[in-house]
Amino acid sequence: MKAAFDPVTLATPFFILSIILEIVLARLGKADARYETKDTATSLSMGLISTLAGTLTAGVVFAATLWVYQHRLFTIPMTAIWAWVAIFLAEDLTYYVFHRVSHERRFWWAAHVNHHSSQHYNLSTALRQTWTGGVAGTWALWLPLAWLGFPPAMIAIQKGISLVYQYWIHTEAIKKLPRWFEAVFNTPSHHRVHHARNAVYLDKNYAGILIVWDRMFGTFQPELDAEPPRYGLVKNMATFNLLRVAFHEWVGIAQDVARHPRHALGYIFGPPGWSHDGSRETSAMIKAREGAGPAKAPAEAAREAA
Amino acid sequence: MDEAFFVQLALSGAAVAVLVGIAAWAKIAKPAGPLDEHKARGMLEFEFPGRRIDAVWVASDGAGALAKSGGLALVICQAGDGFAARQIPWAQAVAASFRNGKLCIDLADIAAPRATLSLPSWPPKDLAA
Repeated sequence: MKAAFDPVTLATPFFILSIILEIVLARLGKADARYETKDTATSLSMGLISTLAGTLTAGVVFAATLWVYQHRLFTIPMTAIWAWVAIFLAEDLTYYVFHRVSHERRFWWAAHVNHHSSQHYNLSTALRQTWTGGVAGTWALWLPLAWLGFPPAMIAIQKGISLVYQYWIHTEAIKKLPRWFEAVFNTPSHHRVHHARNAVYLDKNYAGILIVWDRMFGTFQPELDAEPPRYGLVKNMATFNLLRVAFHEWVGIAQDVARHPRHALGYIFGPPGWSHDGSRETSAMIKAREGAGPAKAPAEAAREAA
Repeated sequence: MDEAFFVQLALSGAAVAVLVGIAAWAKIAKPAGPLDEHKARGMLEFEFPGRRIDAVWVASDGAGALAKSGGLALVICQAGDGFAARQIPWAQAVAASFRNGKLCIDLADIAAPRATLSLPSWPPKDLAA
């Protein structure tokens, strides 16, 4: 579902130019960024094909949103400033829920895992998008906004704004931003934590634009100087085959269900890494093994001690 | 889908090709060099914490390593400028095909189908069982 004003389409030239800028600055030694050719090709190809995949389910998403909007509780005007403030907060909270579910339940992780499958963290990683999000049905999480009375176009525009915001934070070139900004907004530092596979960083910082949701719901983790992020998956991929990148977790679920049909629900809706015999590790098990409870940045710990 | 969609798609495809070309030109991949035994053991410790390592074989080109840990083989293989790790039964590693100095291990994982390691010989006679 695309609104007449589509932030993502408008931002596409910015995506291209900023990737070129990040690469050139890194080449000149002026910015911290790493690009590997196959990895970059995979990320960008995943992004390009995801736009095609999105069009396959766009009709269903649009029809469902429109139907729910026709049964709305209120009529919220697109022209009111308060309505845009409200949709900003409501959509960002919805994104937090979507993102948390996408990490903590395997069915939705299967659609999201490809975004985390790069061992790099650069602007091209931001474009490594899902092909199966429409099938996974996470778009239904946004339907309550239409039921409340936000016009579908308004929801689509705010989703686009959120997506564009989340693009620029996929970089190692920007270290820490001013403290007030880091306190309120999702930043490159916070999102590096989210993409890291270090035990202490697993399942943290789900925010879209506002990091305050993570602070409120106990999933915030600052980036630690002593723990440089290692990017990628707990079990990294050993292939750049696009089909494997896009579908490997779906195939994994199917294999597990076929082998252990009595435990199908656990393999489909349990946390990633769940197994009926405990032979695999979930994020929680890895964190427990590594003793990786919530860790604070030294400055934050010192402030609290004082 | 209208004509504009296909024009946009074609332009996006061209942009992807240009960006990949620029990334290749820049040569700014991670500087991690080939594995030696010290690096391989460090990587094994990170990927398989707490595992006892009985023996390690590092690929002669440094593009991977294989370790015996009890009844398991711990395999590290190169993926771009990074590495991926998997564990398989030791017997499966012993039975892997070895031709022309290349050990080709079926990792039986859709996300990591196989690992190819350059080794002088395989399997090790004293640990084959």
